[in-house]
Amino acid sequence: MREDIQEIKTTFEHISKYIWRHKEYVNRLNVFPVPDGDTGLNMALTIQGGLADFSESLLETLTPGEFLKLISDNMLMNSRGCSGVILALFFQGFIEVLSNNDFSKENIYRALERGCKRAYEGTDNPKEGTILTLMTELKNEYSRLMKEKDHPIDIIVSCIPYLRKVLDKTPEMLPVLKQAGVVDSGGAGFIILLEGLEREFNLRRVPDMLPISTVLNINKTLKNFLERRRHSKFYSRTVKTLLQNFNTDNISNPKLNNLIHRFQIYLRTRTKNNQHQSRDFLIQEIKDIESSWNPEIKYKYCTELTLQAEKAITRDGIKEKIQGYGDSLIILEKDKTFKIHIHTNKPDAVIKDISSYGEIVFKKIDDMKKQHRNFISEDSIEYEREQSIFCIVSGSGFKEILEGLGADFVYDYGKKKPSVNKLVTLLNNLKSKNIIAAPDDGDILMALKYAASYCKANVFIVESKSAISLISLLMGRTIEMDAKDFSFTNQINRIRYCAVSRAVRTTTLDDVSINKKDYFVIYNGKVILSGKDQRKVVLDAIKKLLRDETLITFYKGLPVKNHTSLVKDIKQHFPHLEFEEYYGGQHQYHYYITFE
Amino acid sequence: MDKRILIICGDNLGVGYDQISYPYIEYLTYPVIVEQEEYRESETYTASWLFDKFRKEKVTAKSSSLRMNEMIDIVEKNKKDFDLIIHVVMGSNMSAATLKIAEEVRQKYKEEIKIINIDTRQATAGVGVILFRLIDFIKENQEEEDIINYAQDLVKNTFTLYVLPDLNYLYRGGRIGKAKALLGSLLRILPVVSLMGDNPDGEVLPVGQGRTYKQAHSVIVETLRKKMEERNLQEIPLSVVAGDEMNKDNILALKEEIENKLPVKKSMVGKIHLVEAIYLGPGGYGVAVCMK
Repeated sequence: MREDIQEIKTTFEHISKYIWRHKEYVNRLNVFPVPDGDTGLNMALTIQGGLADFSESLLETLTPGEFLKLISDNMLMNSRGCSGVILALFFQGFIEVLSNNDFSKENIYRALERGCKRAYEGTDNPKEGTILTLMTELKNEYSRLMKEKDHPIDIIVSCIPYLRKVLDKTPEMLPVLKQAGVVDSGGAGFIILLEGLEREFNLRRVPDMLPISTVLNINKTLKNFLERRRHSKFYSRTVKTLLQNFNTDNISNPKLNNLIHRFQIYLRTRTKNNQHQSRDFLIQEIKDIESSWNPEIKYKYCTELTLQAEKAITRDGIKEKIQGYGDSLIILEKDKTFKIHIHTNKPDAVIKDISSYGEIVFKKIDDMKKQHRNFISEDSIEYEREQSIFCIVSGSGFKEILEGLGADFVYDYGKKKPSVNKLVTLLNNLKSKNIIAAPDDGDILMALKYAASYCKANVFIVESKSAISLISLLMGRTIEMDAKDFSFTNQINRIRYCAVSRAVRTTTLDDVSINKKDYFVIYNGKVILSGKDQRKVVLDAIKKLLRDETLITFYKGLPVKNHTSLVKDIKQHFPHLEFEEYYGGQHQYHYYITFE
Repeated sequence: MDKRILIICGDNLGVGYDQISYPYIEYLTYPVIVEQEEYRESETYTASWLFDKFRKEKVTAKSSSLRMNEMIDIVEKNKKDFDLIIHVVMGSNMSAATLKIAEEVRQKYKEEIKIINIDTRQATAGVGVILFRLIDFIKENQEEEDIINYAQDLVKNTFTLYVLPDLNYLYRGGRIGKAKALLGSLLRILPVVSLMGDNPDGEVLPVGQGRTYKQAHSVIVETLRKKMEERNLQEIPLSVVAGDEMNKDNILALKEEIENKLPVKKSMVGKIHLVEAIYLGPGGYGVAVCMK
């Protein structure tokens, strides 16, 4: 690889790693437009995406300008969330100018100008006090320092102290930031990116911040103390002592810092005459902080789509079609590919409308209410994977089979179906952002739906009703498919099967008479035959159900675990077919028999 | 033809030499090491011979990269008679050494004869279909730049999908890549893995799995159909199936399935060579399709 390309690539990789390490800091600031706590992650993934899909041989042939253009194209197509998309737009404009390989300070200024233009143009309803302001101020300060310095990176790095001051002023520009006592997260992420550049010269440290859950807990403790008239002496003395000696220098959230400071004054100076008024004033401030982190989220779903247009359509045309569905609309265009971001309550309607223009090659729908709840929760989860498949099944044999087919976790519940609580714990333990959850019994679906609403991940429930459906689901999964593509979940009914069980009482079901202890066969939810001899019942079932399949598989249940295999005997009647037998371990059925 | 062009190709190309109608072609044979003995393909040592040894003697086998001296011998022998040499090389992610050797030879002779090395991102019949299409092209056009551009297009539009009843052969050969995810199933499955020309990493990727050959063939047809749709392609110019002849019925069933379900202009049965047997394992076969 050429040395200059290698240098750019290495620098970009270092910056990407730097912002990745500091993404949590940015996440904790995230208030605007919705406090879903993922701005840092989105910006980190956008930058990381810039370096995706490069082959070493390709890099041999590129000029630095062409290489940067590739990075900017990749960033755009991998951009996520509002700040990620705006950053990608800025970078795209910036690189458009630099593709002529002129890296002079004057040309870098023109690139900054173009970057700002692209970022503003691409943002629907641009707001000051956000990352956009930081971009503009970088351009302005760069212009001022150009007269004093020569090296463009030196100039950019020299802009950072000024940009920090601008960032500190963002709460004055955007009321929602002021209310929450934070600076803009996208803007902070932008400065971290520049610090990553600076770090190539000089290591810097981003200040530690209290997690929002801790801020809210301190807030809650203060509120409890003030609102409750009677406390135990122990509680009253402990809280007072703790708070009076609390060093507010350690709290970088200015609103909480101010509140604790006032609280300390209140504890020192309260008198019978003034205490009620001061207390009410403090309670109001506490409620303000609380409400700033618990806003009403008007639009629930953050929806991102990539459209490969097959019809002639413009950015404005798409905007007109879907802007009524929500807010935070951003549409990017490159050739015939459109990247669309919108916050909406009707993601399906957006998808339907957009798909009329061509093929949707990527889609991502995040539940922002759930994201926000996770974000402000004390027991926040560090996601370790994008997608997991979680199967709930009865039988140790099926557990092994499903794990072998690629399920990320299989819970064998034996005879006792899992509770909502148990399912929530299992789902959270997966530490996955998106979970496909599939049970082997329709009776578990209701509990699973409740559990999904309490757990921290986005849970996609597959309404599967047998262990065979789960095998079918996993067999239909293309392992290299996009981790957010759930389309394979419609594969649950690909394998035809019947189940053989034994009656515990005499009855008639689906017009079939069944005596106590008879064996009977269920196919597609209906009893199709019964009899006293298990072997004959199984044989008749196969004769009745066999079409043009070539492979018959028996999954033995727990009741027949130690019984002699039926396969050898049955196979004699179907010499042209293949037979296989596995131990499933299911409690309810003696056999599942599949036809493939 | 105005320009005299020699093609060099390894013997892991999934088609028989007699199926290639180009007069100026030299084949290099990959060394195959079976139980520490080195073999080269010959009338005795064929893919069937190795499959038989796998089945009966449970031997282990591996391949080695092409030998530089043999490559040099071919260039030395031919450099005066030709204006250009095209070396169709197996995917560099599966054998980085082979491409590296080919590049060293290109450098060594850069003052004497122009050599173009094509990293096919393929093995077996994937190399074969690229070779077929390239031969068709150079019969019409001998401009170096056009050949390079066309070859790049061929590479990106060639796909090979394999049904491998025993993935352990691929695993032991060190070529398993991301298809490792398909190993270790308790159920007997037929893994479908691929070499996708549009994947710049060029490694073996898992595509899906079937419990029966019919299901595995459906996975292959659907995958190819998607690739056609992505390219807005009306007709597949060339498709070649090849594999262990002991599994001939299923190889022919796959050919028929593809012909019935997809519009294919030319469809043929290839032939695998000794080195290819190492990775396919007994019963293994596949289809290579060129969409350019």
